[in-house]
Amino acid sequence: MRVIDAVSPTVADGFAVHVRDLRMSYGSTEVLRGVDFDVRYGEVFCLLGPNGAGKTTTLEILEGFRSPSGGTVRVLGLDPATQAARLRERVGMVLQECGFPRQARVAELIDIWRSYYPNPRPLGELLDVVELAEVRNAQVRKLSGGQRRRLDFALALAGDPDLVFLDEPTTGFDPEARRRCWAAIENLRRLGSTILLTTHYLDEAERLADRIAILRAGRIELAGTTQEVAARAGLATRISFTTPSALRQGQVAVPDGIDLAVRGPVSVCHTDNAAMTLRRLLDWALENRLGDLDGLAVSAPSLEDTYLQLTGPDPETM
Amino acid sequence: MTRSLRLAARQALHEQRSFWRSAEYALFTFAFPLMILLLIGAANVGSYLPGTHVKNTTVFVPSILAFGVIVAAYVNLGSKVAVLRHDGVLKRIKTTPLPSGAYLGGLLASTVATTILIAALTGLIGWLAFGADPRPGGLPALTGGLILGIVCFATLGLAISSVITSAESAGPVAYASFLPIAIISGVFDPTFSGLPQWLSRMVAAFPVKALAQLMQGAYTARPFPAWDLVNLALWTAAGATFVAWRFRWHT
Repeated sequence: MRVIDAVSPTVADGFAVHVRDLRMSYGSTEVLRGVDFDVRYGEVFCLLGPNGAGKTTTLEILEGFRSPSGGTVRVLGLDPATQAARLRERVGMVLQECGFPRQARVAELIDIWRSYYPNPRPLGELLDVVELAEVRNAQVRKLSGGQRRRLDFALALAGDPDLVFLDEPTTGFDPEARRRCWAAIENLRRLGSTILLTTHYLDEAERLADRIAILRAGRIELAGTTQEVAARAGLATRISFTTPSALRQGQVAVPDGIDLAVRGPVSVCHTDNAAMTLRRLLDWALENRLGDLDGLAVSAPSLEDTYLQLTGPDPETM
Repeated sequence: MTRSLRLAARQALHEQRSFWRSAEYALFTFAFPLMILLLIGAANVGSYLPGTHVKNTTVFVPSILAFGVIVAAYVNLGSKVAVLRHDGVLKRIKTTPLPSGAYLGGLLASTVATTILIAALTGLIGWLAFGADPRPGGLPALTGGLILGIVCFATLGLAISSVITSAESAGPVAYASFLPIAIISGVFDPTFSGLPQWLSRMVAAFPVKALAQLMQGAYTARPFPAWDLVNLALWTAAGATFVAWRFRWHT
């Protein structure tokens, strides 16, 4: 095991979560290969990545359930490996696949959870945040999947935590359940909690997160705001339009100097100079009497493009 | 320390509420021993142990007392902890600042309450229905036997919970691991005999017969149960060692 070096408290204390050169091996398998990131107070930070990227392992180290093989980790200024007990009072956790006692009722369960913490949040407030007030006397086993996940949130919030960990909060949910889950997370953030969430859903990261780090094969590939991440990936602007029938039937040739891909009803090109490409395209359309190019759309590189480029096995599937 | 005790007490109350809410659980725990007590007890009314003036029921009622203790402390606690672990409830508890000791203490306190209630009901019904009551001066033996029995079988319950691999098999495994031993230990038949020697030696090594004999000692005069006490102490130590080695908060 590597010696965990001392961090200057001023650096680590400025962040809710501070991770430097985090490494984790199971036997000879390296799961985390030097992960760095910081989570600021009050923000929603998303660890995004495909299954098996090391998201849950990272979270379990931050939660104090696993000791890392190396690196520095501070959560709310504490070392989770040695100060887990103090950390538990200030951190709420929603883990994957944690059940409830089989006979419990909603409000009763939240109430006993509140008794575990020194400064619990009021019961009524918790029920409101997760929108479970109307089923407060229901048996837990009769709740739907989405309601159970929101009860997870309520239990994680019972101690009025400064920081909340959410491990893939909406995996396997239908759209309506996801939407309500997201609403609960947004409520949570309005209460001032710092949130660290993992997900393999892009729309979830894009919708909820202030900042994103893309974890892939045990390393952070990119980190920043959604726009920064997309821009820093160096992706081109995408221009698309409805393929004119003349082009489709081969009566018109594709324009010179433009890497235009005709994909059935839609034609697409990528460019680093959107203005020039657009001018050339319109000139070409005018020359060939194709009109204003129906369905013309210019889109900045999206998080999805970035993500797929980073994690997708085959660039052709982009 | 006082905080842990308060939390444990609260947890115990919560567990008791849950226990009584689950009709099948509570019914099975209580009805099974009491039904056996009444049915087999009725078949033994008016019979005496061969060559003695001791009524069958005087031995049978304390045997069922021991049986009730085992059902409540071993089967119930063991299968409950296995289900809690399988469902991820134990793991969830670990995400809170609740001390592990306070949580387990609460579970154990709730188990003790259930066990005492079932023992009291068994004793009461045994007395009302069959006139079986502890011998004069048998109360210390009864209390001591109860305490030892609860400690020993609750420890073994925690131990068996670590062996159970699924929530569905929790109850069956817990029952199947002791019912056959209870039968050949003569718990259900005061005149049970005729086991081959190797088998009766094996029966004597298990804690079921030891606890039954401790309880019988509170109803009829018996020699000092030195071996039974040693037996339960050894099983408790073995169970505790296994728990320390194998107990996990998650699957």
